[in-house]
Amino acid sequence: MKSLLFIGRRAAVVIPSVLGIAVLNFALLHMAPGDAADIIAAQSGGATTEFVEELRRSFGLDRPLWQQFFIYLGKLLTFDLGVSHVQQRPVLSLIAERAPATVLLMMTAILVATLLGMLFGTIAAMRHRKWLDSIISVLALLAYATPQFWLGLMLIVFFSVTLGILPSGGMMTIGQDISWPLRVLDIARHLVLPAVTLGLFYVALYTRLMRASMLEVYTYDFVTTARAKGVAETRVGFVHAAANALLPVVTMAGVQIGHMLGGSILVETVFGWPGLGRLLFDALQQRDLNLLLGILFISSILVVAANLVVDLLYGVLDPRMAK
Amino acid sequence: MNSKTLKTLRAMLLAAPAMALFATAAQAQSCPKAGGTLTYAYSLEPSALSTIATSAVPVALVATKMFEGLLNYEGPSLEPKPGLAESWTVSEDKKTYTFKLRPNVKWHDGKPFTAEDVKFSVEKIVKPYHSRGHVYFGDLEGVATPDSLTVVFTLKRPVPFFMNVFQAGETPILPAHAFAGIDMGTAAAVRGAEVMQKPIGTGPFRFKEWQKGSHIALERNKDYWRSGFPCLDGIIVRMIPDGAARAIAVETGEVDLAPMSGLPEAEVQRLSASPKLEASQAGSEALGPNLWLELNLREKPLQDLKVRQAISMALNRERIADVIWYGQGKPARGPIVSAGAFFNKSLPQYEYNPAKAGKLLDEAGYPKGAGNVRFKLSQNFLPYGENYVRLAEYIRQELGKIGIQVETRSADLGGWLKTIYTDWNFNLTSTFSHNYSDPSIGVERTFGSGFIKKGATFTNSMGYSNPKVDELFAKSAHETDPAARRKQFDALQKILHDELPVIFLMEPAYTHVWNKKVHGLITNGISMYSPWDAVWKE
Repeated sequence: MKSLLFIGRRAAVVIPSVLGIAVLNFALLHMAPGDAADIIAAQSGGATTEFVEELRRSFGLDRPLWQQFFIYLGKLLTFDLGVSHVQQRPVLSLIAERAPATVLLMMTAILVATLLGMLFGTIAAMRHRKWLDSIISVLALLAYATPQFWLGLMLIVFFSVTLGILPSGGMMTIGQDISWPLRVLDIARHLVLPAVTLGLFYVALYTRLMRASMLEVYTYDFVTTARAKGVAETRVGFVHAAANALLPVVTMAGVQIGHMLGGSILVETVFGWPGLGRLLFDALQQRDLNLLLGILFISSILVVAANLVVDLLYGVLDPRMAK
Repeated sequence: MNSKTLKTLRAMLLAAPAMALFATAAQAQSCPKAGGTLTYAYSLEPSALSTIATSAVPVALVATKMFEGLLNYEGPSLEPKPGLAESWTVSEDKKTYTFKLRPNVKWHDGKPFTAEDVKFSVEKIVKPYHSRGHVYFGDLEGVATPDSLTVVFTLKRPVPFFMNVFQAGETPILPAHAFAGIDMGTAAAVRGAEVMQKPIGTGPFRFKEWQKGSHIALERNKDYWRSGFPCLDGIIVRMIPDGAARAIAVETGEVDLAPMSGLPEAEVQRLSASPKLEASQAGSEALGPNLWLELNLREKPLQDLKVRQAISMALNRERIADVIWYGQGKPARGPIVSAGAFFNKSLPQYEYNPAKAGKLLDEAGYPKGAGNVRFKLSQNFLPYGENYVRLAEYIRQELGKIGIQVETRSADLGGWLKTIYTDWNFNLTSTFSHNYSDPSIGVERTFGSGFIKKGATFTNSMGYSNPKVDELFAKSAHETDPAARRKQFDALQKILHDELPVIFLMEPAYTHVWNKKVHGLITNGISMYSPWDAVWKE
């Protein structure tokens, strides 16, 4: 009951903030010069003014801005995201086609990054100021500073070109009719490099965060008590301290889901991963307003939802929060 | 990289393959080998699968394998050959074109193809909604269909390039029955028709699936009218947005072909050394890409011919082609590209002479002032990638040397289009335009004064107006005597070469890179926009 109330309270905050985001998006995007009609004409190698005007009229871009805004808002309230100007298909179905790929990539990356980050951070803290700590810290710093696009290309060069063991791009082998367990395996193979590219930065981040948090927890009385009881040091580290140190990492991971969506644009570009990030980038280039607003709107809902999940997770991870 | 290697590379790319590569597709009676799938990669995902929605490169590449035109074409200058039309006659006054259609041709859904489909496609779709429809069919009086296999086009006045317009990408024939219940009066309804996403054509390949963001798969049309063809089992189009990743895919053999300069220039240079791969600039002659520095002639210094000549002399076109474009292009001499059928061969190369350029500016009344600056100009650049950024950098540097201080402004495509073609708010900008298969289609729109129209992309943004030029364009657009027409174009090119309404810089080349296992790709001046029915793979 309590948690339902909690969700309800959070949802009440969500609605105005999502609407606020929608209004802001609309205003920002209309400040960018040029529109989809221009782009379509240009990509067709030029066209007459009549052609461009006809396009603009059929998109409703010839109406005054305030009218466009209220039409947009009205549709939004009924969850109608409109039709993509460039592709002439419903925005919602375009997003639905792409969202699973991005969600899969992001979830894998963030899960692996959180788990690995926690593991490395814990180990580093347990070996504080020993050589293992130094190695982990240096590697983390290196991973933190490596640009994603470069990392992606280097991974492709090494694993696809030189070793030839992983595919260089795409989400699955094309033109193969295989049973679903093989298909899952096939997608997993394609997922490795993009997920590593996207996740490595976060592994580094969470390692550092976890290490710092662990070191703080180590100073608490209950750790001293545990040690005094004669609990093995490994158990003190992995169970007693780690369980109390992971809250900051979970908080950070929740906040960074939005950030990761930005990173996925790059990763999707390098690996030809058929996700939302790439769709967003193309839509921006083509001034495909409806599609752009739709993606931003859905993304903001995704981010808000992810944060809600993290809030709920707190209760599980730290029983004190539920009270 | 020294300029000798570049020259060699350019010579290699340009000269060697030019003629030898043109496969004699029409002569082949059967496939040397049947089967296999051709995979090609391009950066952008098509927004639709018909060139009616937009004739952008990724769309034209894939749509022309499924939808056909009335004719096929052979050779760089597009000699018409039978396609959906088996034969044709042209009346004495060049105003009536009668096409006899091939019998027993079926749409991919099994329905028969008839003259009604042709009439409907031209009148209801191509003319109003293709971006060049009005250029092609503006003088069309009517289309008659005396029987189900005869189509008669009647023109108000002769259109000398009329036989060129029936290309698969330019005048695709679509099934009339797929538009039942669609409001043909609005662009959005037509562009949103299901057949634009799931094509039903007559072409050698039929639509199989489209996995958004990943790939499009086409399969062999086993009922194709040319029996025994196509050779391939299917075509896969892969969208690989990153240039380096595309190059790797071609290198590893995952992808067989990167068409239409689909690879970054530096990568082409590296890959063309591979014994497994072929890099060629042949096969796009009828597109005629031409690149220039567009000038806003409303600005005072640019109104002066001497200033324009000085800018022209300050730029080294060889360097632009060899260094900035990695040898994938050659210096331009005028509005019509040198591979074009109407190119005026007597045009001289433009002179590169910075010292003389300085003198011309002195004569024009722009002496050097403080800091060696004569006057300032702003420049925009076409946002089509790295090369244009480097070109802008080069222009800024070279014009700086002769005392013209250039400030570079950058924008993305949407912003650039608005600045140049709607607001006319610019001094200089690099831009790029296609001649297409005839100067009346692709050249007049930049230099005719009738095309000074706000909001029309890739038209006369300079505000250039010369009655003599207008007159020559008007005449040549309806001239029936080929010799007289050539004379008109010769005169036109001479005027534009000398008057420099824009600074003609370079004819960029479309480089196609493919795996040598693939054969028969280069057949005509629009090879990548051809049906590929005779393309085969080892």
